[in-house]
Amino acid sequence: MNDNGDKKVGAALVIGGGIGGMQAALDFAAAGIKAYLIDSAPCIGGGMAQLDKTFPTNDCAMCTMAPRLVEISRHKDIEILTLADLEKVEGRAGNFTVTLRQRPRYVSAEKCTGCGACVIACPLGKLKPPSGPNDKRPKPIPDEYNEGLSCRSAIYIPYPQAVPNIPVIDAAQCLHMKTGKCKLCQKACKADAIVFEQEARTVTLNVGAIVAAPGYKLFDSKLKPEYGYGTLKNVITSLEFERLLSASGPYKGKVLRPSDQAEPKRIAFIQCVGSRDHDRDYCSAVCCMYATKEAILAKEHLGGELSCDVFFMDLRAFSKGFEEYYLRAQKLGVRYIRCRPAAVAQVPGSDNLTITYLTEDEKKLDGEYDLVVLSAGLRPTPSGPRLQEALGLTLDPQGFCATAPFAPTDSGREGVFVAGVFTEPKDVPETVIQASGAVSRALESLSAAKGQLITTKAYPPELDVEGQDPRIGVFVCHCGTNIASVVDVAEVVEYAKRQPGVVHAENVLYACSNDNQDKIKKAVAEHKLNRVLVAACTPRTHEPLFRNTIREAGLNPYLFEMANVRDQCSWVHMHEPVKATRKTKDLVRMGLAKARLIRPLQKKRIAINKDVLVAGGGLAGMTAALSLADQGYAVHLVEKEAEPGGNLRRLRHLLNVDADPQRHLDALIDKVKRHPGITLHAGSRIAEVKGSVGNFATRLSAEGREDVELRHGAAIVATGAQEYKPVEYLYGSSDRVLTQLELEGRLADDWARSAPDTVVMIQCVGSRDESRPYCSRVCCAQAVKNALKIKALSPRTNVYVLFRDVRTYGFREAYYTDARRKGVIFARYDENRKPEVAQADGKLRVKCFEPVSRTDIVILADLVVLSAGTVPAADNKDLAQHLKVPLDQNGFFLEAHMKLRPVDFATDGVFLCGTAHYPKTVEETIAQSQAAAARVATSLAGDTMELEANISQVLEESCDGCAYCVDPCPYKAVTLLEYMSGGAIKKMVEVNESLCKGCGVCQATCPKKGILVRGFTLEQIAAMAEAALQATETPAEAPVEAAADTAGAAA
Amino acid sequence: MMESIVDPTLLAEIRRYGHFDVDACFNCGSCAAVCALSKDSALFPRRSMRFAQLGLREPLKRNLDSWLCYYCGDCSTTCPRQTEPGESMMTLRRWLTAQYDWTGLSRRMYLSPGWELGALAAVGGLVAWLISSFHGPMVLDHVEMNTFAPVWTVHTFDMILVVVLSFFLLSNVARMWWFTMVQGGPGWRPLGAYAAELKTLILHSATQLRFGECGKDYGRWIKHWVLATGYVTMFTLIVGFLWWFQTDNIYPLHHPQRWLGYLATAALLYGTVEILVGRLRKGEQLHKFSDLSDWLFPILLLLTTVTGISLHIFRYAGWPQGTYAMYAIHLVVAVPMLAVEVPFGKWAHLTYRPLAIYFQAVKDNVLRRQLREDAAGAGAESGSRQPVQVG
Repeated sequence: MNDNGDKKVGAALVIGGGIGGMQAALDFAAAGIKAYLIDSAPCIGGGMAQLDKTFPTNDCAMCTMAPRLVEISRHKDIEILTLADLEKVEGRAGNFTVTLRQRPRYVSAEKCTGCGACVIACPLGKLKPPSGPNDKRPKPIPDEYNEGLSCRSAIYIPYPQAVPNIPVIDAAQCLHMKTGKCKLCQKACKADAIVFEQEARTVTLNVGAIVAAPGYKLFDSKLKPEYGYGTLKNVITSLEFERLLSASGPYKGKVLRPSDQAEPKRIAFIQCVGSRDHDRDYCSAVCCMYATKEAILAKEHLGGELSCDVFFMDLRAFSKGFEEYYLRAQKLGVRYIRCRPAAVAQVPGSDNLTITYLTEDEKKLDGEYDLVVLSAGLRPTPSGPRLQEALGLTLDPQGFCATAPFAPTDSGREGVFVAGVFTEPKDVPETVIQASGAVSRALESLSAAKGQLITTKAYPPELDVEGQDPRIGVFVCHCGTNIASVVDVAEVVEYAKRQPGVVHAENVLYACSNDNQDKIKKAVAEHKLNRVLVAACTPRTHEPLFRNTIREAGLNPYLFEMANVRDQCSWVHMHEPVKATRKTKDLVRMGLAKARLIRPLQKKRIAINKDVLVAGGGLAGMTAALSLADQGYAVHLVEKEAEPGGNLRRLRHLLNVDADPQRHLDALIDKVKRHPGITLHAGSRIAEVKGSVGNFATRLSAEGREDVELRHGAAIVATGAQEYKPVEYLYGSSDRVLTQLELEGRLADDWARSAPDTVVMIQCVGSRDESRPYCSRVCCAQAVKNALKIKALSPRTNVYVLFRDVRTYGFREAYYTDARRKGVIFARYDENRKPEVAQADGKLRVKCFEPVSRTDIVILADLVVLSAGTVPAADNKDLAQHLKVPLDQNGFFLEAHMKLRPVDFATDGVFLCGTAHYPKTVEETIAQSQAAAARVATSLAGDTMELEANISQVLEESCDGCAYCVDPCPYKAVTLLEYMSGGAIKKMVEVNESLCKGCGVCQATCPKKGILVRGFTLEQIAAMAEAALQATETPAEAPVEAAADTAGAAA
Repeated sequence: MMESIVDPTLLAEIRRYGHFDVDACFNCGSCAAVCALSKDSALFPRRSMRFAQLGLREPLKRNLDSWLCYYCGDCSTTCPRQTEPGESMMTLRRWLTAQYDWTGLSRRMYLSPGWELGALAAVGGLVAWLISSFHGPMVLDHVEMNTFAPVWTVHTFDMILVVVLSFFLLSNVARMWWFTMVQGGPGWRPLGAYAAELKTLILHSATQLRFGECGKDYGRWIKHWVLATGYVTMFTLIVGFLWWFQTDNIYPLHHPQRWLGYLATAALLYGTVEILVGRLRKGEQLHKFSDLSDWLFPILLLLTTVTGISLHIFRYAGWPQGTYAMYAIHLVVAVPMLAVEVPFGKWAHLTYRPLAIYFQAVKDNVLRRQLREDAAGAGAESGSRQPVQVG
């Protein structure tokens, strides 16, 4: 470590604002380290922002990431620097001086409100596509967000949810920049935010650590001219198809093909475009699944008539839920054709396309398609070489960042960590995991600097409004033209003024702009307001801002109410201004009805225990424990066996032949045992867990010892998994049939002396079948690894691998190639015709139908090695019950969200890593264990924890302990209490305030009004409902409108 | 379903016959999909590659696919792993030639340059010795070819040569038939199919029409056809009509003896030079790799042609010593070429290729009949179950 008196800086630089960089920034900030998040694009969001949905859950990508975008945009300890490129890094770990160059946006971030008037004003946004090759008019500007399938103006916001939500001027296109004329956007901007004179600036930052997550670049499909991308109109990339599927895409979610805007009836997907070829000997790891997703979604969009053919070589559905997703796609009628087509050709006289392909049973067919989608692979980021120079990283020959074995998040330079596709093609959860892991590594050396640069806010004392009559101030926002172009804002203001309790009402251009925040504060003081209602965009993004504003004015933040009149009114009723104005009035009236009843709420702070319990002393548990202990946390490491080590004990070599897992393991155990921050509880099991985040109490039981009770603030589940014990292929009845792990033992011990002539490996033993439909992920690479080891030790040994799909994803592909080069023979078998193994004259006779040669091949083997799958640990169920966390249908632990919260549980304070989550490799396990450590650090950052105030409360006098609310609670926050009171048993429920999220399910189930959500009482909701049913205007004018309404509805 | 024990030695054995890189191949099928000639009944190169990869010796030996390939190289340029399937088919043709040849000479000559060059040298030496020992008197004041080498003596020698070569070639053809049509095909029974497809044999022998479909490169086909036709014409003229061709009479230019000979010579000269230049330049996919056998074939033919032309010039120029010497050199080159290369070397493709097309056509013919019968049978069956309503 770099401890010679250097001051550690409590800030970190995160390079890349994609999903990985966002995770890193949020983790840093939550753990007490200020984060600078830089992106060379005009906004953050990265590749995921362009996706429609995500596999394997079909969750909307933007819907899952938008809350994060918003959280980052308003996080006090995250500073976003867009249009910024890293120039130079000086200093060393703990204290870097970073120089950035920030290109001009030409729009003042301080003044801009994001209304979008400038975008509408820009004349270049109205250009039409050329009518023919001779059309000399200026061409429209392709919209990068929609992959050029639509056009944009020269001043533009990259996508609707972009953060920062500020337009940028494309200087290469802007008329004013080119000719000195135009300036229409400047005229349109009421906030005076357009600054044509802005220049690039140099920014210098002082940070203690750097996380680089610069992402990737999609393979340029034009480099495969045989597929016709760029020349044939209806050949598009997978990302273009993703945009076609998206509701925010060029045709608003209608899937239309480019040549004639017709709905395709036959779509072909071609896999491995730019992957797994001679020049790019790696697998892009995501394309099989995204093509499957796109095929499923296309079928959803276009109905059952649509045919989807996926041309693939090995279908790599290797991660959690993927195999099931693949099976689901097949059930939905997606056809998977195991062939790599050589070319795409145009059908003469039409825009349709043909593909000649082979079926696996050796038929040559021509398929005609309306649309061909190329599943383009992932290429290294073009910023790689610059980062290499500035950060001192090593790039591999492909251009990805090289990492060392056992250190998947280390860049090789101290203090610089890496995450995401930058190090290897991977999907969103792997990226998120690696980003958190990188943060953990940074926190290990920055623990002393935590909180150093975190801003604390001082507020004036709260005004006591208890018992006062409501004095409500109403602010109706124009939102530029977003609301005001549809809704008559002035009329709404006048209407609000007439409502009871309203003492002040006004309209504001942007309620969220800085000057209007001041206006609201002044109004609170001037009119002695004790409630504030803002009728504007949506509470989803802006409620925290306004709550903060009134708190600054001295009001309790919960004395705020918001009427959602943009997202739920002006945007959806764009073409009915009269009705929209009336609905706005309704929404304001309803908001006021609730506002009159709202009361100040106080957030509770509780002291937290900062110790951590890690369940499982294998690679995952030990890695997490060490990272946490290095960050200064006291860790209890619980291992059921007498010695730590877990499954890693049985791994004798890695795919990367230079690294010895046993040496790493021994070093790890040594460190764990010597670390003063780690208490090892070997031979112990968890017998009971009580409490919640910040305050857990866990009882450990060990044979021959008394139970131990531990108090801790967070827990990590790292209990691992185990190798499947086969019952098939003569395992157990012949000593010549081994599992891969058993083979590893033999290879490490005395292989060379008695090397067999012929070894047959059989894949997917105990995986991908009816009882265990999931793919065990590691076995293909393990078979390749052991086959290569055999070839290294005894080159004359013949090795055959019988597989279903070779799932050597990512960089494992190169080892698959290497194995073939070394003479390992791979032969496919079909799941319906599994290989047969029989004893025959001192040999094992392995018979297998090989589909390409259409032959039953017979191999006389000396050794048969079964690639036995990974199965969940038997005691997962008990532990899951103790910790109140769920298991998935296969018995592995189920994380909070498959994409964005892969190490969290829905239960706060409990985290997950290693093979307890799903089968994974050594490096993936290490990354996830580090990530779990980082997530713990974010939840145990302070000494106290603030609880949400807007949560459930039990009314003692009304609750009769019927316990109807206990089971429905999704957070397991409600428990039933039974106690003696006045000689009788009294029953009542109790709410754990640190678990409750205030969702209101308990309130809805309670028959006795015995439990309520403080900010959403039944009374308040009833008042809103009553207000909703009231007539909008005075009875004199109401009937006319009501009649019009009825007529409108009838029409 | 055929059951076949894998032979781990097969791949290594095939590799000795030339470039055969199946290591990087993961059977994606791109090669067979792009191939203009491969079709359902003969899907190459993937299936042949797979047989070799897995060590399925018998299925590979029984397979005709590699003869049906004319090596346009589309598969090699398309292959995402750059495994050169086109060249692998070439290597397989050598391996198959060696499998068909019962004498083992073919195998030895493909595997050892010493054997190949030695065989050529031995036969050349024998011819040189025969000429030096048995030639007639050398008339030196003017050219008298038929005195130096009496035409009937040479013709008899030619006939012996033809019989010997035919014996080897036909016995190898019989083995090819046995492997591909008896062990791996319908046998001799479908005589109708054999008879029906004779037209295919004749057509393809004469035109190499399939070549034109290969990669849609008609230029290559024309060149090959010119060379092959030139060769066959010259061979026929010399072997069949030697008395007419080797004469001391000088025919006028319009006489077929003159212009046929010239045309054939021009074809040979153009064809061989074109091949050699291509192989030297390595511009086309099919010329990227060159085995010794690939070189010897055009070189010997070119030498034969050039010595033939020189002989012709010397004779017409009336230079007796030069003519006799060139005649000897011409035979010393031409005879080994025919004796060694035709039955045992690359020239065997002259026989195997049209036969393979023929055999494949017979197989397809049988398959078609089978399908027709099946369909008819199914029709009859369904008919019996569900009587067709008449009227």
